[in-house]
Amino acid sequence: MNEIYFNVDGGFLEGILRGYRDGLLTTHQYMNLTQCDTMDDLKLQLATTDYGPFLQNEPSPMSTSTLSARCTDALVQEFQYLQQNSAEPISKFLDYITYGYMIDNVILLITGTLHERDTHDLLDKCHPLGFFDTMPALCVATTVQELYNTVMVDSPLAGYFRECLSAEDLNELNIEIIRNTLYKAYLEDFSRYCETLGDPTATVMGEVLKFEADRRTVNITINSFGTELSKEERAKLYPRLGNMYPEAQTKLARVDDMDQVKAVLEQYSEYRMMLAGVNLNASSGGAGGNDLSLEDRFFAREVQLNKESFEQQFHYGVFYSWLRLKEQEIRNVVWIAECISQQQKDKVGNYTAIY
Amino acid sequence: MSLIQLYIPSDVSRYTVSQLGELGLIQFRDLNADVSAFQRSFVQSVRRFDEVERKLRYLRTQIEKTDVDVYEFLDEDFASAARSPRDIDEMEEKISAHEGRVLDLTRAYKNLQLKHLELVENKYVLEEVSSLFSEMTGRQQPAQGASLSTSGGSRDGAPLLSRQETMSRRSIGSLDAARSAGGFDVEHGSVVGHDINVGFVTGVIPRDRIATLERVLWRSLRGNMFLNYVDIEEPIHDPRQEEPVYKSAFIVFAHGESLRDRATKIATSLGATLYHVDSSAERRQEDLIDTMSRIDDLHQILENNHVARITELTGVSEQINTWFTVVRKEKAIYHTLNLFNHDNNRDCLIAEGWCASNDIPAIQSALHIATEDAGSNVPTILHELRTTKEPPTFIRTNKFTEGFQNIIDAYGVPKAGEVNPGLFATITFPFLFALMFGDLGHGFLMTLCAGLMCVYERKLSWLAKSESLAMFYTGRYIVLMMGIFSMFTGFVYNDIFSRAMWTFASGWAWPTDKGGEGVPVEATKLSHVYAIGIDPAWHHASNSLLFTNSYKMK
Repeated sequence: MNEIYFNVDGGFLEGILRGYRDGLLTTHQYMNLTQCDTMDDLKLQLATTDYGPFLQNEPSPMSTSTLSARCTDALVQEFQYLQQNSAEPISKFLDYITYGYMIDNVILLITGTLHERDTHDLLDKCHPLGFFDTMPALCVATTVQELYNTVMVDSPLAGYFRECLSAEDLNELNIEIIRNTLYKAYLEDFSRYCETLGDPTATVMGEVLKFEADRRTVNITINSFGTELSKEERAKLYPRLGNMYPEAQTKLARVDDMDQVKAVLEQYSEYRMMLAGVNLNASSGGAGGNDLSLEDRFFAREVQLNKESFEQQFHYGVFYSWLRLKEQEIRNVVWIAECISQQQKDKVGNYTAIY
Repeated sequence: MSLIQLYIPSDVSRYTVSQLGELGLIQFRDLNADVSAFQRSFVQSVRRFDEVERKLRYLRTQIEKTDVDVYEFLDEDFASAARSPRDIDEMEEKISAHEGRVLDLTRAYKNLQLKHLELVENKYVLEEVSSLFSEMTGRQQPAQGASLSTSGGSRDGAPLLSRQETMSRRSIGSLDAARSAGGFDVEHGSVVGHDINVGFVTGVIPRDRIATLERVLWRSLRGNMFLNYVDIEEPIHDPRQEEPVYKSAFIVFAHGESLRDRATKIATSLGATLYHVDSSAERRQEDLIDTMSRIDDLHQILENNHVARITELTGVSEQINTWFTVVRKEKAIYHTLNLFNHDNNRDCLIAEGWCASNDIPAIQSALHIATEDAGSNVPTILHELRTTKEPPTFIRTNKFTEGFQNIIDAYGVPKAGEVNPGLFATITFPFLFALMFGDLGHGFLMTLCAGLMCVYERKLSWLAKSESLAMFYTGRYIVLMMGIFSMFTGFVYNDIFSRAMWTFASGWAWPTDKGGEGVPVEATKLSHVYAIGIDPAWHHASNSLLFTNSYKMK
């Protein structure tokens, strides 16, 4: 049934979206990019891609931060086109996607206010997709209660705040806890919403969100080693979905170092293959080849899942997947640009190719 | 078609390619296919022209923004003739100088506009706040002339309660706060706030944010505030945004320093600009007069700056079309040079390309002209190669045959040496169309329309760029032919605006005695036959389609 009626509301947007997907850089184009010697060459190569119109008016010595900002502008413009041309229920789905960015913006503003940075600079650094009406007023809030009552109660994130109103003040550790609690509530809510959307969307998004939850579980575990975070609090931050819920999460809540993490993860087939040959102590961007870090492996698996969502038609998962793939592409391009501008061409191969 | 090889000495290379480009008779082969795009010899030059093009684009956007007319004028001599490297350098310098000046002027203009914005907003705030104050004190200010409530005495708070909405004013907030503030000193029309400590914050905010501001202030100050605002009628030109923005002037009353600080912070974070307004009426008047005189001064300076920008941009606009064309041609020249084989030892370039064998004399003369322009003694050598490779297809078309050739090419370009169906299509295509169209009257209209387009084709050349009419314009000769043929077939089918013509004596006669409604009658055949075309009697017959369809097929 869904196949028959999908194109009435969603056909135009899905068509536009698949056009955007075709504009993603291919392996051949990435090879050309890696062979550039200067930023000007890079700009020349990118002139034929979807980023061309955004880069062509930049004066010649272009920095990587300008490149990253312009590429993000391209992404934002394409996404906003989709948002402006959507109706219910796609518009609600696209709104859900933006809540993740809103959470990031909220945390950025609170941290910046704590360190007494200028309001307008902070607002410029916020991600444009996560902008909501009362966001600038976050700069005046000092406690979580006030934050909630003044600003958040009007925003779409109101429901997610219920679980973290217990934090007393805002300091470094607590802000991270707030971020993770918000994100956990968001993932669970998003997953519930996707279930209500019916079959192909629910299965595709289900896969993707479960992977996201697993990845966050592992990251929270690894990042909490050596901090003051107690094991019960760590367990509270794990999202209640994913392949690791509930057994692996209870086990992970009790581990203390990397080897135990590895031992727990090896029991799951998909993660066992990912962990093979991973240098768990390397941070992202190792020397390329087999010595990838866990983070790189997670990115690769995410790209694979997102590519698979395009195999099906008539579902909303393609919007989410395209956004993630485009972000990955921007990360790749900026990585290559950094390697070129810092003359470290040997590391330039460390991007996660998409097509 | 012949495959030719050119040996071009390096100093003549640019002139040669420029001349050959103007002729447009050679298709060059890429002799450097294995080299990547960055390692070709002339990449630097291409990049240099990219930079110049960027500056030209910037100048063009500035011209469009300030509504200066762009001249369609194209300096033919400069654009088509051979350009020496010195000419190009001069042009590049001129463009850079213009760009620098325009950048400076624009920046100065923006700064001045920002200052102007501040002053204008300040003026609005002063005016509106003065009227708000007078309304709240309930006293008739000579400058304002607002209508009063009846008592006119020192009834603070009462004007607020009894006042109807006259202009677009709304008030929210706790009235108790304002009332219990101890009253407004009526005689001086100023706020006595020293001991009770009611201060206010005034400013300007975009209209769509005012609701958010209300809500956030209400929540954050827990209702201990009073907000009043007035919409500013004229939109304000903020130089940071593209379009003028509608704004409102607001005033927030709050107890105490800390609440006012919080209100200030919230207002600024939501994008409001705050202005200081004095509480006494005389000083507000003075401020107002002062601001207005500063606005006048600034207007003067803005005018001067604007005039300077327009002069500068007008100077640029005369030449900008020429410059764009020249830059594009130069880029094309260097792209073409990148295809050639650069022989370093003998200091010459080797080019290979296809051309029509008949065109070789024209190419020879172009090479000769180029060598003369460059002032060199070394001629370019043209050498015909014998090859078994398949040549590309080259079909010479003129403006008449071009349309038909496009239709044929859409189905597939003929291979070199094949018979070109485009030749026959000039007749067969309109004829087949006419067989199906077949109406003298409509055919006449078509011919008239197409004929007018063909006669006035120079004046109507802008149609080629319009999205919907481009197809009709480029196909005007096709439509003309279709119309002429349709007139012929319309005459043969005896159909003019779907009616029959009785030009000759009909070969059938209808019976006059029989008949009536619904009664079938048969026509009798007469001795003679209708001279040319279908007999008009068929037009009234019920079996006309049976006859005419098979007739038309044949």
